[in-house]
Amino acid sequence: MSRYKFVGKDEIRIDGREKVSGAAIYADDIDFGPNLLYAEIVSSTQAHANIKKIDTKAAEKVEGVYMVFTGKDFPYKFGLYMKDRFIFAQDKVRFVGEQVAAVIGRTPQAAKKGAQLVKIEYEPLPAVTDQMVALGKNSVLLHPELGEYPHVPWFFPKAGTNIAHWRKTRKGDLEKGFQEADLVFEDEYHVPRYAHCAIETHVAIGKYDLSGRLTVWSSSQSPHTQRHLFAEALSPMGLTHKNIRVIAPHVGGGFGGKAGVTMEIIPAALATKLPGYAVKLRWTREQEFVNTYQRLGVVAKLKVGVKKDGTITALDHKIYWDAGAYVEYGANVVNAVGLSAIGPYRIPNVSIDSVCVYTNLPPGGAYRGFGYSEMLFGLESHMTRIAHKLGMDEVQFRLKNAIREGDSTAYGAEMNPSGLKECIEKVAKEIEWGRKHKSKDPRKAIGKGFAIFWKAPAMPPNASSSAFLKFNEDGSINLIISGMDIGQGYQTVMAQIAAEILSVPPSKIRVETPDTDRNPYEWQTVASHITWGSGNAVKRAALDAREQILSLVERVFCISKDQLYLEDEAVKCTTRKNFFLPLKDFVVNGIMTGDGTYKGGPINARGMFLPEFSSANSDPETSQGGHPNVHYTVGAGALILEIDRETGKMHVLKAVEAIDAGQAINPDLIRGQITGGLLQGLATVLYEDMRYDKNGKLLNPNFTDYKIPTAMDVPDEIVPIIVEVPQPDGPFGARGIGEHTMLPAAPMIANAVEDALGIRVKDMPITAEKVAMTLLNKTAARRKKTK
Amino acid sequence: MAKLTLTLNNELRSVEVKPNEILLDVLRDKLGVKSPKCGCDRGDCGACAVLLDGRSVRSCLIFAIEVEGQSVITLEGISRPKLTKLQETFIGMNSFQCGYCTPGMIISATELLEKNPHPSREEIQEALSGNLCRCTGYTPIFNAILAATKRGRK
Amino acid sequence: MAVAHEFKYYRPTRLKEALDLLSSLHDEARLLAGGTDLAVYIKEGLVQPRHVLDIKHIRELEKIKVQADGLFIGANATFSDILDNASIKKSYLLLWEAARSVASVGIRNRATLVGNICSAVPSLDSAPTLLCYEAVVQLMSSKGERTVPISKWFLAPRKTAARPDEIVLGVSLNKPAEKHAGCYLKLGRYEGEDLAQAGLGVLMNDKQEVKLAWCAVGPVPTRSLQIEKLLRGKALTPALIRKSKALVPSEISPITDIRSSQAYRIHMCQIMLERGLQACADRLSGKKVDTLKILGG
Repeated sequence: MSRYKFVGKDEIRIDGREKVSGAAIYADDIDFGPNLLYAEIVSSTQAHANIKKIDTKAAEKVEGVYMVFTGKDFPYKFGLYMKDRFIFAQDKVRFVGEQVAAVIGRTPQAAKKGAQLVKIEYEPLPAVTDQMVALGKNSVLLHPELGEYPHVPWFFPKAGTNIAHWRKTRKGDLEKGFQEADLVFEDEYHVPRYAHCAIETHVAIGKYDLSGRLTVWSSSQSPHTQRHLFAEALSPMGLTHKNIRVIAPHVGGGFGGKAGVTMEIIPAALATKLPGYAVKLRWTREQEFVNTYQRLGVVAKLKVGVKKDGTITALDHKIYWDAGAYVEYGANVVNAVGLSAIGPYRIPNVSIDSVCVYTNLPPGGAYRGFGYSEMLFGLESHMTRIAHKLGMDEVQFRLKNAIREGDSTAYGAEMNPSGLKECIEKVAKEIEWGRKHKSKDPRKAIGKGFAIFWKAPAMPPNASSSAFLKFNEDGSINLIISGMDIGQGYQTVMAQIAAEILSVPPSKIRVETPDTDRNPYEWQTVASHITWGSGNAVKRAALDAREQILSLVERVFCISKDQLYLEDEAVKCTTRKNFFLPLKDFVVNGIMTGDGTYKGGPINARGMFLPEFSSANSDPETSQGGHPNVHYTVGAGALILEIDRETGKMHVLKAVEAIDAGQAINPDLIRGQITGGLLQGLATVLYEDMRYDKNGKLLNPNFTDYKIPTAMDVPDEIVPIIVEVPQPDGPFGARGIGEHTMLPAAPMIANAVEDALGIRVKDMPITAEKVAMTLLNKTAARRKKTK
Repeated sequence: MAKLTLTLNNELRSVEVKPNEILLDVLRDKLGVKSPKCGCDRGDCGACAVLLDGRSVRSCLIFAIEVEGQSVITLEGISRPKLTKLQETFIGMNSFQCGYCTPGMIISATELLEKNPHPSREEIQEALSGNLCRCTGYTPIFNAILAATKRGRK
Repeated sequence: MAVAHEFKYYRPTRLKEALDLLSSLHDEARLLAGGTDLAVYIKEGLVQPRHVLDIKHIRELEKIKVQADGLFIGANATFSDILDNASIKKSYLLLWEAARSVASVGIRNRATLVGNICSAVPSLDSAPTLLCYEAVVQLMSSKGERTVPISKWFLAPRKTAARPDEIVLGVSLNKPAEKHAGCYLKLGRYEGEDLAQAGLGVLMNDKQEVKLAWCAVGPVPTRSLQIEKLLRGKALTPALIRKSKALVPSEISPITDIRSSQAYRIHMCQIMLERGLQACADRLSGKKVDTLKILGG
């Protein structure tokens, strides 16, 4: 039996009626009337080239074309963690799809027609699309001015190279660790790029009114961060935070792709040159594929030492990231993994090199999992293989080495409380680990795969959240916050937290999408930090409201606050059983006293949260000394995979995933995250990937050839398991789980394929074709040998 | 420009269109019906699904001028006068996340249930296979449809 | 997505009206039926017709006619019309299965089989089926009618035997021998909607005569006459299947593209042949076979 009335309950989502009736308004649904202009972007056809000439004359002559803009109109840089991007390409383009010019039309047709007529003359430069080549001494440089770019203090760019950031983490004595080992095992793993594929593409509308105020409506995970970056980039035009307003309506999926600022800067900037008009930019699906953040590609070199008894003695993890042409956000993915690439293991001797490399491909950035999926594919494949080499059961191996509370992480901070052991054990039990399965179909083999995972929110140490809360005459509440419900159920979870403190059911709490002029600050809805960070702020706002309510009742009724409590939307008293004061009777209009005067008034509360213990200061050579990560969320997963030996086709018969949510605020929504996140993860390993030709052109910028799962592609059974070892500083003990649900998918499949067929695939994705051809080649090689 | 007359959500409506205007754009920008969404613009994702004379179609692949005299039903039409049992079940079972694919899902599921009031999970999977959802992993959607049909629709 | 290209739209209601229009507009016109391909081509600028003739309202263009000795699929018959037709499911299962493998419901409700063969993309799902049934394409222009056997229909990728002034009235299929079985196997990257990376139609009768046809493994869909000849009149033994599989590489000419490698296509075509033959044999003997599950996954 839960201690709580609303927390820990499968509450119905408060945004359901809106979304299921079709009433929910997304950015593209807003009407702007006949003064709306449409922007069409002319994109680079070259991966790396100098722009010699842009001829806009023909475009300007098209009927309905209002204006044409190019880079010279906006010579301003922007970026979240490093200012390395321009609003439009200046003298140079660095990836195919980069924005070079904008045609503004009175109709979308006119803008499009105009854009087709803009002529750009390029002088091609050598392009580098492989990070290992870009690291070479003779590689072409993407950013010769790298040394001059402003960046956060925890980045270490190497001027004169393509290395935008190099996170080094060192602990213990690596050589000694390998000497102590009975087995040292090395290998290399490859992960390609991936696209988020939210069904809603990016869209933003900028309006610069005649008073000089800029409003941007955008499909965004980060309205406040967008306002801040717009203010920074557009400050030469005299714009300040006060004059910029970002309104973020419902978002049709984010997955990290709508974090920070990508294309939204374009309509924001264009609007400043089009006073009195609104200007809309909506990415087509193809533009969504080629000119938003992408998940970074990875080459990982792993070396792990273990003793005969299974104790891990040392880990050397070198991770080279294909970060794309601009890394203003992506470099922090590299940073985050560079701190955490030991995975959820206790390892005394560690060396991690996480290297952020510029390439002539689209900018890498946040993608659900923030680098951990890429890192864990190699690490969790490797751990299974080491266990097998030792002749040890891989689950026992993981249990033996699993990180525990108080253990030191790679950068020296203490590990938070976690239910990792419980997750592993529960998953192993549910999947019947150790039991072999045989397919009814003789052509098919069945294998099991296991993996564990961890991930911390990657945030600046001062990433904060805040909340306003106001009561209405009927005792209902408006909770005014600035996180985004990108589908995960944020609004409902925040309502449940406020409900628990104030005894008002979530169905009577309205949470609207944010407007930076009216809603208090929130850093971003990323990093799976929002249940924790914004939840803490909401809890504090609710506590503030409760304090105001109880203080008022104490003052009017002369009952000590200690004896008052909230229940059933009323103030009650522990010592006076009959005392019952419904909230709706006074939370706006106050309480009438004997002489007809009123005391109190509208209850308006506020709450704020900033993790004051967090710090990014550390030794750049070792990463020791700081507290860059607030906590880790951990979990485990396993699956049963059936594979057709001849066709290579795979089918997940059962998948199990356990995750330590600290305290599930809404278990049904966590199960929903596991069901959806796991499928997204399975897709990255089974069939998705971005295919580029050698000239940096994406070959599959559509759903016809970038296959995301359909209703036909789901596992037969998914068993979500929620573990609850409370996070001491979380709201009711909660921590975030949204991204984590994807993390174990890829290594689970790789491990299951090996279990079933005895082949190890080290390059993602592990497609049916790859499995079938690997098997065929193996059989052919064996035949050759026996001959 | 030509005058297009159609029955939209059971109301007779007229609008001036050019032959190259896409039905999805005309519904959204000229007729004020916003539930059909644009997701891919080439018929792959199903977010723009509407019922055309009772059958689900991709409104992004139809020129508006083609539907002269026909009936178009969008989620707005299904939601009036009140939400259907299927919609209530979607709400009650949290069978959506970001909500962007939901209008198309409801359209496809509504068509399925008209033809087959008690579909199996496999039949639901096949019927929804043209509606992409990146959030839910689909299972909660199957469950809502199965639950709604168990209790008897309408 | 806004369409920048402008065109004139016609909505003829009589065949003569359409044919007259077509002969006067020459190759600047495109016919519009379901539009599921044409709309994408126009949106993405791949074709820019000055005139678009919507043929959906031509009274003479029939949908589906089931006759004792055959079947006629009219120009306006959608894949859903085919799937909803109980006689087709009963007597032309191969056609029915191919129709089911096309895209998804929302596309099949609109896309026509005739439109599919007119697109003539190498991956088109209806081609192996029509080749197996030895279908005949019926065309008409203002000069008169003519027929083209389906084996002579596909000239090159996206190129058919139709002339610019012709309208395809439909395709007619002969009813196969009384006791027969068929199946359509499609190789995709996953279980959901995908363009075929290889497609195989198999039609088998109880006299051990087999017809085989491929799509997506050559510039145009083709019959596999060598393998048919090898199999004719023989019992389906493992040795015979091995022999027929060995012929596959010489019968097809797949390429490596983003969807699949040449080597995997060849390998899979051999597997598909083996399993397709087995499935038809099983069906002939009265066993139930789910073709969606034959290739695994």
